[in-house]
Amino acid sequence: MQFLNNYSNRELNIWAELTLDILVYLYFIYRVYPLLINGQFNNETLVPIIITTIIISIIYSIIVFGVINIFTKEEEKDERDYFYELNSYRISYYISQGGILGIICLILFNELYQENIGLLTPPKIAMIFLIISVLSSTGKSLTQLFNYRKSI
Amino acid sequence: MKKQKIKNQIRRLRFDANEMTQAELAEKASVTRQTIIALEAQKYSPSLELAFRIAKVFDVPLEEAFQYN
Repeated sequence: MQFLNNYSNRELNIWAELTLDILVYLYFIYRVYPLLINGQFNNETLVPIIITTIIISIIYSIIVFGVINIFTKEEEKDERDYFYELNSYRISYYISQGGILGIICLILFNELYQENIGLLTPPKIAMIFLIISVLSSTGKSLTQLFNYRKSI
Repeated sequence: MKKQKIKNQIRRLRFDANEMTQAELAEKASVTRQTIIALEAQKYSPSLELAFRIAKVFDVPLEEAFQYN
């Protein structure tokens, strides 16, 4: 419980969110990578992976966030929390925009040089979007944690 | 150009105010204890409203609690 005492309720929640992002990312890559290698990546194989990921996320959230809120006192947000949150949303926005720009470029290059970079199918685009959203969320959590640790 | 910073005397004012704890000040100023820690470490510049609230808690003028260097 010493670990819990060193961090505020908000920081612990951010750590939990970051861990969830990393877990989702690792699980997704672990399930999707063999399919990509074997050429079995399509809508039928992607949907069960997404559903499993959502179920794991919900179970994780109930357990971990529940434990955090049982052992630490929830505090009302103050101006510093809002300031760091806004700062982290900015980073998250940049990552999302960069990712979307990357997808646009990928689609254009795919259209121009299809034979060189392989066929970009809708499930692959969906997978890239999912990865971008996880990266954006990870960026948000890391920025918040960095700001909180920096100011102590 | 050298970066301008807002300095504060919160730690001294707390001890002058009968050794008020960070938690007590946080409650009176309606912020979290972590914000008081960050302020005392001079690593966070408060909003004008929070600066006024803190000065009011200690019953001192704003410029006694906060200085702009």
